[in-house]
Amino acid sequence: MEILVCVKQVPDDSVKIGLNASGAPAIDGVTMVANAFDTYALEMATRLKEANEGTITVVAIGPEKAKDALKSCLAVGASKAYLVSDEGLENMDSLATSYVLSKAVSKIEELNGAKFDLVFCGKETTDCTTGMVGPELAERLGVGCVTGIVDISLKDGGISVKQETEEGYNTVETAIPAVVTVNKPEYDPRYPTMKSKMAARKIPIDVITGADLGLEADKTAPAVKVTALSEPPKKQAGVKINEKTFEDTMAKAMEVLKEAKVF
Amino acid sequence: MYILDDEAKDLLATVKEFCEKEVKEQCKEFDVSGEWAEEMYAKAGEMGLNAIEVPEEYGGIGISKITYAALYEEMAKADAGFFTTMAVTNLALKPLIIGGRKDLAQKAADILIGGGYGAFCLTEPMAGSDASNNKTVAVKDGDEYVLNGRKCFITNGGIADFYIVTAMTDKSKGVKGMSAFYVEKGTPGLSVGNEENKMGIRTSNTTDVVFEDMRIPASALIGNEGDGFKIAMQTLDMARAVMGIGAVGVAQRCIDEAVAYSKQRITFGQPIGKFQAIQFMIADMEIKTETARQMSLHALQLQEEGLPYGKESAIAKCYAGDIAVEVALDAIQILGGYGYSREYPVEKLLRDAKIFQIYEGTNQIQRTVISRAVMGKF
Repeated sequence: MEILVCVKQVPDDSVKIGLNASGAPAIDGVTMVANAFDTYALEMATRLKEANEGTITVVAIGPEKAKDALKSCLAVGASKAYLVSDEGLENMDSLATSYVLSKAVSKIEELNGAKFDLVFCGKETTDCTTGMVGPELAERLGVGCVTGIVDISLKDGGISVKQETEEGYNTVETAIPAVVTVNKPEYDPRYPTMKSKMAARKIPIDVITGADLGLEADKTAPAVKVTALSEPPKKQAGVKINEKTFEDTMAKAMEVLKEAKVF
Repeated sequence: MYILDDEAKDLLATVKEFCEKEVKEQCKEFDVSGEWAEEMYAKAGEMGLNAIEVPEEYGGIGISKITYAALYEEMAKADAGFFTTMAVTNLALKPLIIGGRKDLAQKAADILIGGGYGAFCLTEPMAGSDASNNKTVAVKDGDEYVLNGRKCFITNGGIADFYIVTAMTDKSKGVKGMSAFYVEKGTPGLSVGNEENKMGIRTSNTTDVVFEDMRIPASALIGNEGDGFKIAMQTLDMARAVMGIGAVGVAQRCIDEAVAYSKQRITFGQPIGKFQAIQFMIADMEIKTETARQMSLHALQLQEEGLPYGKESAIAKCYAGDIAVEVALDAIQILGGYGYSREYPVEKLLRDAKIFQIYEGTNQIQRTVISRAVMGKF
């Protein structure tokens, strides 16, 4: 089974990021890491590979530094990595990203000499959180897509996946090739071993340029225009109810809730 | 401050992330209960942390001594008991390499790489600093040795997959009658005795190890009969600088906790870190810790270069152990009443720091080693 996992390098999501003086996210000095949902996707793909054989390739679009995210993927399941890197690919929206990725898929298939059976993406990135790249990529590749999956297995020549929704879970079966986007599964991504970390450093990461992909400039230009960014409003302080007795406190709380028409 | 190449930095970042997410907070609970942190240790074993000192020729990662020192400091910063388990496991491989037993070293290395543990059984109830006073005996019987005796304060005693055991093969010869043996878990006659309820490093396992008519093949002898004391002393010489790094890890954690607290604790209208009294305490803590770190790294670098390192290792272990206790006391002082409370992390650091003045040769023994090296025989 040939698997591709799409990975984006993003600012460490455990760091609180505000806006700088010019109104852009203040990410200078923040460690760049592989997007958390992409690491879940890679772990799920790796477990699928371990249960059924196959190889995993990872791809990222980004600057030279994004190789760090790919190297970390090579230490925990992936065996090949490609970086799509070129001027003009820095601030793409999801539509442009899916366009470049779809071109990269064909190019990597050509380089690997094999078609991908499955493409894994995180369900969203922790920096932009659009959740659109996976489905758009599937559309461009002309294959099926299941979003927000938390489990996957092979079934009858296709796949059976557990999809998490706001109401509960769906079990979806579909043919392959397909694109899946991954939510947080029940397990955590594995840690690299000391040995795999050192071995990953020795695997070459090939860089694919815009020219290699034959990109059309107008399709990499963002269709979405960001007019302004703002920080989420600060949480308002709550109402403290602390009457003399526990009974009085409860009675007061019920009164407040009633006034607020909570019930 | 370590001077590391990109590969070493990469490994350090991985170990740091693991320690932050899987060790630091989890150990609080195990420090109270004294229970074995099974899941945490299993994950560490899978990562290969049990085997960071295994040379490449035995299938290990073959990293430099400075690199593994950096990794050990990170482990000790998160929890000194965790560090102790890992460092002693790696230590137990050394006597086999020193004794020239490549076959046994390979067996032990495979165990460590697979996530297993080793133990080094030298200390006995009447043979601590006076290690030559071993009472455990090994009697040759055909192509076997029969061992009888009791070891105490053995790190990893209850969890080890293999043991390095010293025993007297000829009592009349004193230290030259001591021999060292390789013993695998499950050997009939080998049993685990009392588990110590310790003041600190409570996430490490410390027990008695008992031998009752334990029969092992003659091929389990490391080196020749009579080499045991020499092998044990060389092992401790090599391991001391690593213990220095463990103490440095505890001291660094003390600084980190004290600095964080002094920036947010307000008294007399400003953070206490704005007062020179606190600033100077922090500076003194840093002077001691960085000095201990560099001394330990120097001792390791001497080893790496094949130069004599006995005195320097003793200085590193002794100084780092002493300052870890001082720095932990200072951290408690900076945190005041909160520092004395078990709600805050620094009282544990003092309990953990104290062991570094005791194990792997007390600091009194280190001073004996150092003064002998300086003064010579006269």
